[in-house]
Amino acid sequence: MAIQVPGKRFGKRLQRSRVFGKGKLNAKRVMTADLLITPMVDMFVIIVLFLIANFSATGDVLNITKDIRLPEAVNVKDIELVPVVMISNEQVLVSGTVIGRVEDLSREDYLNIPALEEKLRDMKKQYEDLHALANEESGKFKGDVNIQGDKDIQYKILKRVMYSCMTAGYNNINFATQTASAPKTGEQQASVRGL
Amino acid sequence: MAGGMGGAELGPSSSGKKKPLDTTINLVPFIDLMAVTISFLIMTAVWTQIGRLQVSSSGGPSDNPDDNDKTIPLTLLITDKELKLTAGTSTFDPIPVIRDAKGRIDLTRLQMRIKEVRTNLPEQAAITLQPEDNVRYEDLVRIIDECIGSGLPNVSVAAAIG
Repeated sequence: MAIQVPGKRFGKRLQRSRVFGKGKLNAKRVMTADLLITPMVDMFVIIVLFLIANFSATGDVLNITKDIRLPEAVNVKDIELVPVVMISNEQVLVSGTVIGRVEDLSREDYLNIPALEEKLRDMKKQYEDLHALANEESGKFKGDVNIQGDKDIQYKILKRVMYSCMTAGYNNINFATQTASAPKTGEQQASVRGL
Repeated sequence: MAGGMGGAELGPSSSGKKKPLDTTINLVPFIDLMAVTISFLIMTAVWTQIGRLQVSSSGGPSDNPDDNDKTIPLTLLITDKELKLTAGTSTFDPIPVIRDAKGRIDLTRLQMRIKEVRTNLPEQAAITLQPEDNVRYEDLVRIIDECIGSGLPNVSVAAAIG
């Protein structure tokens, strides 16, 4: 006969019982639990696919701040990494440098903003010097600039910024916008409804 | 997917015993890879989709002299009250600015006008916008977007005169 641990010993009939067989006194419950791997791996796969579908190789080109709410547009092109002029309701900035306050600029009657022009000229010279050192043909200055303006700014300020950009040699002006989904036409809406 | 994969059983081997083909895939490195990929993608994710609308400074007809008889100077004067489209020497009736509950301009009538112009001049690709000083940037962007969407990709912006 096998040696058994001292303690209560139930008869064979009771050992088979669900109540007494498992719930006997001083019995240690099995503490291991099986982890269901299948749903976890499924979830991982879905998350990875979703994130890859939303992956953008260009990354964050613009510094999004809460002061600047971009307008929405549908027919847009991909944004490129070029100098950015930020226009909020408070101030005008270029590459993080404050150029002036919107309130002051809107009071002036000049067409250009001299500080902005100077800054952009410096940036252009810096770009050209850098690419001249590298002897790059592809790195020719194209004059691209992004204007990241708040949707509530007035054209009066925008006009001065655009004029300054063009005077400084940045002729290809791009307005940064938030990409909106194209509105559905009547036929598309009807087909969605199953009509 | 996870767990034991059902294995197929081939015919009896030379020794006469059936060789079990069930194998267990080791999921631990797969889950590790997934976790690292998810972390990387979340860190590099760009949640706001930003685009650009290209505008030029000088508008008017195409530089190509052959196109001069096929296109005309198309100008849109934008004020806070109305939109006035001029095609060459003819001026259309001004379109009153109607806004929705969100304050966005209704551009349906402008879209129809541009389509009308495009029907008569299919080669027309340029339009010059002349906003007044008090026009909001959002309205200007929406009008540029509408022009590009209606088949006028060469949008130039100039200051309104007068």
